[in-house]
Amino acid sequence: MNFIQVAATILLVLGGFFYFAGTVGLLRFPDVHSRLHALTKADNLGLGLVCLAMALLGGSWRGAAMLLVIWLLGLLAASVSCHLVAQAALEPAAEPPTPRGDP
Amino acid sequence: MSLALDGLLAISLVVLALQVVTGASLFRSIVMFVVFGLVMALVWARLRAPNLALAEAAIGAGVSGALLMLGYRRLRAAGPEATRPGPRSSRLAAPLSLLVAGLVASLGWTALGLPEALGAAGAAVVAAMPSQAVANPVTAVLLVFRGYDTLLELAVLLVALAGARAVEGPAGPADLAIPTMTGLPIVGALLAALVPLSVLVAGYLLHAGGNAPGGAFQGGAVLAAAGVLLVLTGRLVPHPVPGPVERWGAVLGLLVFSALGLVMLARGQGMLSMPGAWSIYLVESAMLVSIATTLVLLLGAAPGLRRGPLP
Repeated sequence: MNFIQVAATILLVLGGFFYFAGTVGLLRFPDVHSRLHALTKADNLGLGLVCLAMALLGGSWRGAAMLLVIWLLGLLAASVSCHLVAQAALEPAAEPPTPRGDP
Repeated sequence: MSLALDGLLAISLVVLALQVVTGASLFRSIVMFVVFGLVMALVWARLRAPNLALAEAAIGAGVSGALLMLGYRRLRAAGPEATRPGPRSSRLAAPLSLLVAGLVASLGWTALGLPEALGAAGAAVVAAMPSQAVANPVTAVLLVFRGYDTLLELAVLLVALAGARAVEGPAGPADLAIPTMTGLPIVGALLAALVPLSVLVAGYLLHAGGNAPGGAFQGGAVLAAAGVLLVLTGRLVPHPVPGPVERWGAVLGLLVFSALGLVMLARGQGMLSMPGAWSIYLVESAMLVSIATTLVLLLGAAPGLRRGPLP
């Protein structure tokens, strides 16, 4: 195992930790806003770390650039949907979203 | 390691499929169906069928998921009764499904034991590839070896659109209420980034289809996703009369493909034979426009679309 592989493994484990913590938070936190807080950590940091690790392992600038675009797209989608869900949860007229889906 | 991954994928597929059909609510079933499509795409990728994986992710999970979600929104507007799942299955369900599972397992077991067929099409395609204008065998099969099938698939898409129109009647379903949140600046910023990007990705997929996984169907689904976003956020609103863009867009693929086929027939070559790489890209581009237009019109549940009141 050379240096790059060790660094990539550490990044992958860290990314996996963020995904795990985000999922636990999503399942255990009491309300919409704290759940969103947990989820966006997994989306932003977890995905970023995993992409960074894969860019290191891939070993090509082209692949690294594509992974960067994937990460940026993930950030964009996650932040906008998080904002919209938070906004919907604030609106008094909106039905409270239930974890089971249907009211 | 890879065996563990494959096992995990197989178990997830079965569990997700069970969740889809036994879900306590329609909404849950729809979400599970989308997740099922994504895992299915991973399975295709593991089976080294990247073309299928792309199509499954774009059409199976993306477009079908959006279609189901839109249907769910319309059902919810109709009242709480409409979204309740149907009655529980009968007592025969379990023995029948076990019987079917046994049948599928025995068929699969028999198929595994069969000797490989002589003169199978796959080997013939691979042998004929060096003389083709494109390097991707899937594109070659779709447009060169089995062009007739692809032409008929385009016709099926058009018939599906016409069929949806006929079933809906002139009035069509009630208009979807566009949430007020779609007017937020952040949604505009998202669209400003995503719509041009999906046009770019659709073009890239079409171009890549010549020598790598991709092609008109995958590109068309990505382009349709941009159109669906515009419909969902009220930038495009359903209209009872189709405009020239919708009319020509829906038939362009069929028109270009059959025109080229007839020209080749008139010039004394086989019908639908492709005179070169340019013709393959021409037909694929026209197909991409038609596939995207048809999908957006089906999802918008309207004969035509116009610019919406939102900026």
